[in-house]
Amino acid sequence: MNDLSNRPDVDPPYDYPEYGSTKLRAPRQPLVKLPAGALDVPGPLVPRGFVRDGDNDLTLHGKSAPLGEKMVLAGRLLDDTGRPIRDSLVEIWQANSSGRYDHPGDTHDAPLDPNFKGVGRTFTDDDGWYRFVTVKPGAYPWGNHAFAWRPQHIHFSLLGNAPIQRLITQMYFPGDPLLDFDPVYQSVADEAARRRMISVLQLDTGIEGAALGYRFDIVLAGARATPLGI
Amino acid sequence: MERTPSQTVGPFFHQALRWRDGHRVAFAEPGQDVVLVGRMLDGAGAPVADALVETWQQSPAGKTPASGKSGNPCGFARVETQKDGTFRIETRMPGGPAPYLDVTIVARGLLKPLRTRVYLAAESAMRADPALKPIADLPRLATLVARPEGKEYRWEVRLQGDGETVFFSA
Repeated sequence: MNDLSNRPDVDPPYDYPEYGSTKLRAPRQPLVKLPAGALDVPGPLVPRGFVRDGDNDLTLHGKSAPLGEKMVLAGRLLDDTGRPIRDSLVEIWQANSSGRYDHPGDTHDAPLDPNFKGVGRTFTDDDGWYRFVTVKPGAYPWGNHAFAWRPQHIHFSLLGNAPIQRLITQMYFPGDPLLDFDPVYQSVADEAARRRMISVLQLDTGIEGAALGYRFDIVLAGARATPLGI
Repeated sequence: MERTPSQTVGPFFHQALRWRDGHRVAFAEPGQDVVLVGRMLDGAGAPVADALVETWQQSPAGKTPASGKSGNPCGFARVETQKDGTFRIETRMPGGPAPYLDVTIVARGLLKPLRTRVYLAAESAMRADPALKPIADLPRLATLVARPEGKEYRWEVRLQGDGETVFFSA
């Protein structure tokens, strides 16, 4: 492996042959270390007006409710010292309950749902909490190898409060038998680190009589920089 | 606490991560308008048509950009690469003797982001800046320098192989 990152046990390598798309995109040269603190600067600060009411409820934007198992997804955004990351933008996207993305590049022969776009955004609150209402995404086949299927997952994009905290990850569901076969999930070498990408079924996070609840906390790299605007 | 691992952004991020005017960097202050035109190629020399590029930079006065109450965050761009691997960012010249943009690249096939920099400065200006000594001594320094062409700066990003761009660890 050519990855000289300080924490090879947390993030996956660039070069991971089991995930075919890494073949022509993984750099071959060793990474160069930036001067200390170069990315530990505050920013970017996303204005509050960036998120509108309802952007965190993916079930509200059709003429009627989307198909599938309604769920609440909530958790805290923390840094590696356990401090909440406040007022930070959280963006998610996912397939619909049939395993189809509302995206022109998705050619999977599963039905689109006119009542589900699969896109949401919100800010964390003063304690680092975020909350989305959505439906459970379906698994779907992909072209990595014959009979390859992605486990059910929701994509997360986090800006944190400093460039060093930027993270894009995927959240998985407990007990999904496809996890054992998924090279994207398995690309994280450390088992404990992999499990941090699995949400926890937490019934009382749901909506009584309406939605299941899942808890997913996200831990970003620590930043020494004082966040802007706080 | 232990960090949450990175995973690929995959091929289906566009609707979620596309920002209105994401290619047009906001600033609270005036400055010299510049356009960065980039092109991204993979290890076979083929265009990378499904990457997301983010840039973060200092303001024209050389400060960390603050933001307003609405619109996009100041100093920050987010753009998608096009079918031909190109992307275009309209911004203002960052302050400092060797101005640069910090660049983050995510894409299908990248299990974690690639971090690099693009300098809108001559190599000689970069070598003269003592703060840049660890970077300026790199033999592959030229991969981080955009070439001025009128109002535009042209920059080629090669993810792998001949002429591979310098990528950084955080």
